[in-house]
Amino acid sequence: MILPALLLLAQAQPDPQLQKELEKALQADQQAAQQKQQQQQAAPAPPLLRGSQSLNPDISAILDADMGWQRRAPQFLNGDDPNLHGDTTHALGFTAQEVELALSAIVDPYFKGEVYLTIPNLEGIEVEEAFATSTSLPWNLQVKGGSFRSAFGRQNGQHLHVQDFTRRPLINAAFLGDDGLRGPGLQVSWLSPLPFYLTLYGEAFSLANDPASLSGPVPDPVRSFGADGPRRPTLTAEAKLFLPFGEEWSLYGGLNFASGKSPGLLVATDTTAGAGRETQLFGADLYLKWKPANVAQGYSSLALQAEGIVRHFAAGDTLADEWDGGAYAQIVAQFARRWFVGLRGDLIGLPSSSVTARTARGALSVTFQGSEFMRVRAYAEIEKGNLSFGDATVVPVVTPDWAPAAFLQLEISIGAHGAHPF
Amino acid sequence: MIGLIAALHVVSSIATLGSLAKEVGGDRVEVESLSKGYQDPHFVEPKPSLMLVLNRADLLLHVGLELEIGWLPPLVLGSRNPAIQTGELGNLDCSRVIPVLDIPTTRVDRSMGDIHPQGNPHYWLPPGNARILAREIAQRLGQLDPQGRAQYEKNLARFNQRVDAKEKEWAPLVQKLHGVKVATYHKSWTYASQWLGMEEIGYVEPKPGIPPDPQHLARLISVMKEDGAKLLLMENFYNRSVASLVAEKAGAKLLTLPTDVGAEPAIKDWFTLVDAVLKQLSTAL
Repeated sequence: MILPALLLLAQAQPDPQLQKELEKALQADQQAAQQKQQQQQAAPAPPLLRGSQSLNPDISAILDADMGWQRRAPQFLNGDDPNLHGDTTHALGFTAQEVELALSAIVDPYFKGEVYLTIPNLEGIEVEEAFATSTSLPWNLQVKGGSFRSAFGRQNGQHLHVQDFTRRPLINAAFLGDDGLRGPGLQVSWLSPLPFYLTLYGEAFSLANDPASLSGPVPDPVRSFGADGPRRPTLTAEAKLFLPFGEEWSLYGGLNFASGKSPGLLVATDTTAGAGRETQLFGADLYLKWKPANVAQGYSSLALQAEGIVRHFAAGDTLADEWDGGAYAQIVAQFARRWFVGLRGDLIGLPSSSVTARTARGALSVTFQGSEFMRVRAYAEIEKGNLSFGDATVVPVVTPDWAPAAFLQLEISIGAHGAHPF
Repeated sequence: MIGLIAALHVVSSIATLGSLAKEVGGDRVEVESLSKGYQDPHFVEPKPSLMLVLNRADLLLHVGLELEIGWLPPLVLGSRNPAIQTGELGNLDCSRVIPVLDIPTTRVDRSMGDIHPQGNPHYWLPPGNARILAREIAQRLGQLDPQGRAQYEKNLARFNQRVDAKEKEWAPLVQKLHGVKVATYHKSWTYASQWLGMEEIGYVEPKPGIPPDPQHLARLISVMKEDGAKLLLMENFYNRSVASLVAEKAGAKLLTLPTDVGAEPAIKDWFTLVDAVLKQLSTAL
């Protein structure tokens, strides 16, 4: 928050140019007011009747409720995935996947404020995001401060209700963290003055994560970042590029980088492996969308989204220098006014490492959008674990290998919720 | 410099507002619209390329009344342009001077569909409102560019004269439409109907933004038949399939009308827009 404060301070200094401009503006205002008065005397304005005004923030709540079945506990479970609390045997039942409470408002002429509280699977309230975004910095700069989701990749920045599938892709929990790459931090972004859209981001986060536990029905994914949190901020850099091809086609892509220290794994009581290793993530994401400008010919759209991450662990704490990575690709088609169908494929553990088992998953989702504020989604997935391991396997195998699951998800949104970016 | 390079870059959410800005701004402004006239202004894709357009704007003109609530706010924030943020001189919510219609008189909720709690935002067709808009835009241009004030006043006066002349030309058509019963697709013709004295007897959408069910359509068709509604009006960005079925069953004529500048290539400004609407309406009778 120091940078915006300095800039605001700089703006607050009386400078002769500013004063001149101010006087000019004041004069113009005065003239306009006089002019308006004259006009009003000439022709009285019609009475305007308006709704009640309020300075309360926009408040909304979003509920994702699920009914589901799964053969075994899913690996790489995300915080906002539906959790049926199954173990090695099957699970069948209900969960409130997420309750989100959102508040947003313009703070003052310099900031917009947004707060998103979340209760995933009815397990305690979390601050998903709470941040201020600057609105008045010069030189195409913008600053975001508070606790927020990183601009790393595409899905990481999106809340659950923006996703086209019931569960987030495998790369989220495997490389970014089960709650994604989010936390207290500072972001500075810059919109380049090029003739096409290119924005550069730089972020720093204070993350604190424990070593991943290997006990339990499935092993926890090893966290990329969060070791030595108080002394080692996690740093990221992103570039986002948008190119429209005519009115119907849009291409949105990004290159992403993050660097921090991994807390490693807890292989036995008080025994870790790979703790404190320097870790880097290299990512790329792509979003290709086709949507006609109007629906005169019918309601259809098509969106292809793919994202890949490669991770590098430096050698340390009994483990060697190694690389692993993963990717997903999904296609979502709108085939009627209220209907969408989506298909997604996930693969992680490629190339191989000692801490991430190679795992594949396929998912299908069919979404009925009753209105702008209600959705019902049928979702089915099948996961294949233990496909392959690195040379020095640290994580145990999961049983059974094949893990199908299916969910019926109801999503409702009440109140005034802000529009989502592209 | 002035005269060679436009003093102000005006960006409008819908093309008609930009076109009105061009009328009163003349050579001193260049205008660009975020949406195209053949697009539904409720649902514009918030493409990041539009942030670039807004980044270069001196003045943003928007309809307000929550018409653009689903796409404009993230674009304005992402534009990183301090001049056009809410509350700034470069951000003009044009509805502020409009005598708004369809303001809900009872408590509203979304069981009523995608309603606009502050009133109907489809206000830019009637000449009375065009005059109000032009005056407000001219005033704002003058505040942003005081050197151009005399020019904006002159252009505004000329615009008003042209509206006067056009109103005389349109008078016989307007008279012809007085008392005509119509059904419309979306509740977006309120202002035009009030101006022309047309009577709206029903809507294809049972509630704004909610697709119709067969029962609703059957009721609409019988009301249209009973009341002798000969016209069904819809914007040219909606899907025709349901509306054409209703028109056929009700023995009415389906008119897909332009509602914004650029809806058709020949519609280049507010005058040609109103010309096109009136011509289609009156020849259909």
